[in-house]
Amino acid sequence: MIRSVVGAPFGAVRRSTFWWSIGLAALVAVTIAFWPVFRGSSGVSEAIDQLPGAVVQAFGLENFGTPAGFLRGNLYEFLVPLLMAIAAVALVNGQTASDEINGRLELFLAQPVDRRLLFLGRAAAALLAVAIITLITLAVQFGSSALFGLVIDSSLVTSTIVLCGLLAALHGAFAFALAAATARPSAVLGLGIGVAIVGYLLVALFPLSDVLEPLSHLSPWDWAFGGDPLVEPTETWRYLALAMPTLVLLAVGTIVVVHRDIASA
Amino acid sequence: MTADMLLETHGLVKHYGRVQAVRGIDLAVHRGEVFGFLGPNGSGKTTTIRCILGLLRPTAGRISAFGLDPIRDGVAVRRRLAYVPGELRLPDRISGRNLVEIIAGMRGGVDARRCDELAGRLQVDLRRNLHDLSTGNRRKVALLLAFLADADLLVLDEPTNGLDPLMQREFLELVREARAAGRTVFLSSHVLSEVQRVADRVVVLRAGVAIASGTVAELRGRARQHIDVWFAGPPPEAALRALPGIEGADMDGRRFTGVLTGSIQPLLRVLADSPVESMQVQEPDLEEAFLDLYAERA
Repeated sequence: MIRSVVGAPFGAVRRSTFWWSIGLAALVAVTIAFWPVFRGSSGVSEAIDQLPGAVVQAFGLENFGTPAGFLRGNLYEFLVPLLMAIAAVALVNGQTASDEINGRLELFLAQPVDRRLLFLGRAAAALLAVAIITLITLAVQFGSSALFGLVIDSSLVTSTIVLCGLLAALHGAFAFALAAATARPSAVLGLGIGVAIVGYLLVALFPLSDVLEPLSHLSPWDWAFGGDPLVEPTETWRYLALAMPTLVLLAVGTIVVVHRDIASA
Repeated sequence: MTADMLLETHGLVKHYGRVQAVRGIDLAVHRGEVFGFLGPNGSGKTTTIRCILGLLRPTAGRISAFGLDPIRDGVAVRRRLAYVPGELRLPDRISGRNLVEIIAGMRGGVDARRCDELAGRLQVDLRRNLHDLSTGNRRKVALLLAFLADADLLVLDEPTNGLDPLMQREFLELVREARAAGRTVFLSSHVLSEVQRVADRVVVLRAGVAIASGTVAELRGRARQHIDVWFAGPPPEAALRALPGIEGADMDGRRFTGVLTGSIQPLLRVLADSPVESMQVQEPDLEEAFLDLYAERA
């Protein structure tokens, strides 16, 4: 049963998983390939120092000449977490709302399987794909660091990339809850990605205002990266702050999906 | 629900917002019969079926399948039911064999020998990727899955869409075999010829309402028959014109034509005492009965 409910949809996302992994791996490898240029270059650091402090903070450009600053500013402040969140939303959307509206779930929903299990299995397959993308990103990060001489504590890098994966899973779970409630793929995709971008803007821009700064802590991006995981060991609560709402959203989706009609093609 | 009743709906209503797709349908499907569910596109057939499967929640009314409620007891209902969707969309990047294995995993296994036998009869290559199959061959895979399932009730929505005439014949043979094995077939279609060849009873839908039900013979009996009689001598014109159910009676020399609704017995009695040279009664097919019913209700 599990093989049919989780294994089959995972088989369906294999190709997407491969391409997302290739894309992220290329981004990480190519970026780190430029590390030797920045290493020890005082010019870049001086140029960044000329920028207003708020801008430097907003774009995560502090200590750009250090390995942690370089990785944060180029990859893990914004681009990698956002791309992974988009991957999670797209994969979950494809397996749930999109397949439903296109009639690809009809045959499976007509089998003696609980609808909740079928949808949850598809979310699990998509999130498994996110986990694989995360692991591949981690592997490429380590390989590229070794190749291009970027020396940084491996546990800090691992924490950061795991946090990226958990943040992506949270957005995937949000997409799942939306798909379970509405079966509107464009809304799931738009709102899922929109929430990820708004979450980033909250942590990037709101701290620039004393009034708005407290609101930045509402963002999952703050829960994930507020502790500067490339510099400081990540507190356990940050992992839980991402994992718990993920589980809650998966539960919400599982509950609501039985209270509506299945969309027809 | 009586012991031989497999599926019943009472006052089934389904609205999509302001659209009233189904407006109070009563159905009673008996064990071991082929039940024809007829109607043009948009008449509410698929909506009714999706309510029976528990995919849609009825706006009002009640459904009982195997004595169970498809919403509350959906898994138990679907365990005893196999379904071919009208709008058939199969996964793209797997083979027919993979799909059989996935469905087998959900249904608790399938008979591999029966699977191969059905694949041979339906002439479908299960090794091929579903993405590469034609519409007709994809339909065959779905039919194979339905006939392969160990189900008491087969719900087939427009099952012959895309099948060539040879395969349509094989499909009807499979339906007859299923009935002979004691299974019940709920055959939804707008292709009247296939329904009249295999159905025991028929319900005709129009605009979300059942406008007629009965056996195929009963529906035919309610239809108009075209009468064309040639007489060797003087025709009994007055008696012919006075026949109950006769319309458009026309006497052209020694030829009488008209359209008769209802029993043909009074006509035969009149003709028995007359010098009939030749006679032609065009037997109505279900399509004619169908169109007449629409005309009546319009």
